[in-house]
Amino acid sequence: MQKYISQQNLNTLLDTLIKQGTRVVVPHLNAGTPLYEPLQSAAEMITDQLPRRSAKEAFFPVCEDIMSYTKEGQQVSVADIDPSRFPETVLVGVRPCDAAAIPVLDAVFSWDYKDEFFLERRRKTTIIGLACTQADDACFCSAVGLSPADTKGSDLFLTPLEGGGYACDSYSEKGEALIASHQGLFTEPNNATALPLARPQTEAFDLKRVKAWLDEHFEDPSWDSIATRCVGCGACAFVCPACHCFDIVDEGTEKSGKRRKNWDACGFWKFTHHASGHNPRDQQPKRYRNRIMHKFKYYDDKFGQTLCSGCGRCIRICPVGIDIAQIVEEISKK
Amino acid sequence: MVEIVGSTMHPEKQKHSFEPKIIAFVCTWCTYAGADLAGTSRMQYPANVRVLKFPCTGRIDPVFILKAFQQGADGVLVSGCHPGDCHYIAGNFHARRRFAVFRKLLEFVGVDLDRLQFSWVSAAEGGKWVEMVSDLTERVRAMGPMTEFKELALEEQWSGAIDTPELKEAYNSI
Amino acid sequence: MSNQPIDTSIYSAISTAIQTEAKRILAEEQVSAVIGYTTARRQGSAQPIVITAANDAAKLIFSPACVNNLAVYLTKAKKEIPKQGRIGIVVKGCDLKALVGLMGESQLRREDLYLIGVPCAGVLGSTVQPATALTSDSIAPKCSECDARLPQGCDFVPSQTPATPELEHKYAAEIARLEALTPHERWAYWKEQFSKCIKCYACRQVCPFCFCEQCLCDRNKPQMVETTPRPAGNTAWHIVRAMHLAGRCAGCAECERVCPMDIPLNLLNRKMAKELKELYAYEAGFEVQDKGPLTSYEEKDDQSFIK
Repeated sequence: MQKYISQQNLNTLLDTLIKQGTRVVVPHLNAGTPLYEPLQSAAEMITDQLPRRSAKEAFFPVCEDIMSYTKEGQQVSVADIDPSRFPETVLVGVRPCDAAAIPVLDAVFSWDYKDEFFLERRRKTTIIGLACTQADDACFCSAVGLSPADTKGSDLFLTPLEGGGYACDSYSEKGEALIASHQGLFTEPNNATALPLARPQTEAFDLKRVKAWLDEHFEDPSWDSIATRCVGCGACAFVCPACHCFDIVDEGTEKSGKRRKNWDACGFWKFTHHASGHNPRDQQPKRYRNRIMHKFKYYDDKFGQTLCSGCGRCIRICPVGIDIAQIVEEISKK
Repeated sequence: MVEIVGSTMHPEKQKHSFEPKIIAFVCTWCTYAGADLAGTSRMQYPANVRVLKFPCTGRIDPVFILKAFQQGADGVLVSGCHPGDCHYIAGNFHARRRFAVFRKLLEFVGVDLDRLQFSWVSAAEGGKWVEMVSDLTERVRAMGPMTEFKELALEEQWSGAIDTPELKEAYNSI
Repeated sequence: MSNQPIDTSIYSAISTAIQTEAKRILAEEQVSAVIGYTTARRQGSAQPIVITAANDAAKLIFSPACVNNLAVYLTKAKKEIPKQGRIGIVVKGCDLKALVGLMGESQLRREDLYLIGVPCAGVLGSTVQPATALTSDSIAPKCSECDARLPQGCDFVPSQTPATPELEHKYAAEIARLEALTPHERWAYWKEQFSKCIKCYACRQVCPFCFCEQCLCDRNKPQMVETTPRPAGNTAWHIVRAMHLAGRCAGCAECERVCPMDIPLNLLNRKMAKELKELYAYEAGFEVQDKGPLTSYEEKDDQSFIK
């Protein structure tokens, strides 16, 4: 059932949640850079810029400790991190492209091994999506089967209205529960029209055709021309809402240290570097091919989903102008 | 009587609330030998200094200094042969340029350069070694602990941050 | 200073001249490949391209979105460019300084290159939205301090004369501001900046001088720098990066441009350049120097900081 919430009431809701000890993660400016981060006050929230990094980090942080050890004399003690202590979280103002990627990630984090760090945060987080009213020419959500008003992944979904405030729709029990526990802030829907949605300029890709081509063309000379310019940084993977590779490292001294889980990227030379010195992906085009294959073939093979939600971050951020939307479109026409 | 003898052999040590950790990176040919001379000559100098021996000041990578601060050093001393005395002819000349630049970089990122001392101490200068170590120790003692790098090491990143009392408690209980 | 447009009207004539020259040298087989810029899908955008056929020369362009320092495609760590024969490369003045530095470090030989210099009035500071017009606000900060608008010693330079707008020197002003702070305040500033770092290593990967086969920061025996993107490891990484580039960085500012987290990395490099100029009268330029300031010494070097 649709509700209405004014901007002021939304702020009150967030401030109330913060006071109650809930972690409230929203887009805000950190030293000038828009990021999803935990807030102290709802006033810091921004809605007019797509955060530089995606919302995945609310569940899968850039870096997190998964274990720690101390050593005194011959005595070694190891301590696990207890995920049940993770705080209740509300993730607010999430763009549809970011929200849609989160259920896609559920598949990999709950597959053969249940990643409690991801899943526990997921259980404890309510996602409030926000319809998108701004697209630029890097956006391509509409090309991968989503839209600026797609509610996939959102528990509650806000649609900005003419004259301020939001229409609020609930898509899950978590969403219902949040409305129920703050009833006074939500009112009956008014007749205001929604602000015009963003209009991404790309046409829908034929993803079946893309996959069919990828199935047959692991070895293809075009990979070289696609990715010769790639310089092998991890920027595309790190800003991506769907990339989820990580590296486990032990860091510390002889007396104490921590085991940490850090983001990793298939663009790195070191990603597939074997202890023997051999590197099966010895050239950058092979590494870039993996990025495309994983998003549009391997993930589909395994989980029946596409690992890309068309946010366009990698296109905007790529140091050498590699454009995944253009590459996939070209593949779809081959 | 016993007390008087004791106090001349081992002069009463002053108790301080803060004992700084000083890491000294020294070259084996000059400063290490100089420190050795100070020891064999029974000169007294603060036990705060931990000496690390290198073939040459030219082998002392700036990253070692960084690492020392990160691992809890409150002050760092780098010392080697006087110009012209390098066992490898020019190692200390190269080191001199490198450190001249490195200290400017550290200063620019906000490290107080009073915590970092460079010196030339020859194998014959046991007295100078004692003076260097004593001066730096007392200076750093007066400045208090180097907290900047230690705080960084404890700090967690953003959404992985310990941002609720509950989580803080969980981490502290580790 | 108010936002003023910067005249880039010569860029279309330059594009034509680059195409003609690239076509000629490829057709005459003087070079096996030309590394240049071409248009990309997004409006006003550009991207690096390697062409090997004379007919592809028409793809080459020069525009305010041609921000990349293409020298990165010639260094050791980036092996994908065909290395047979001479390579043609399109260079702005700042890029040429990097090539000259690499020649000084014996990474490249002049005779292996065919340099197509670009008279440059400036490029965009960021290509997140490439369709932006070039103005005193949108121009890359490095261009506000540029002394190399006309590359010297190239094999070919189009005859156009670039505009030389008088702009506020953004790095000089920011360095002066930071220098005037206390160490504690400077630490707080950099702590905030470095804490944003996610260790994507884009700064390292686009740097023509980061050509090590294996970076110190990728090694774990010994691990000199924490690889984790936390404040401690980030700070160490950025200090190490600045130190390894001191006396080598040619000021192309690619590190800063590509940083997804907007860390002002080139400030560190400019600060180092400033110190090296004051201490050892060294500046990156168009003349190949056999030894950099930190691989050489003089007996009379300042040692006032050493007791």
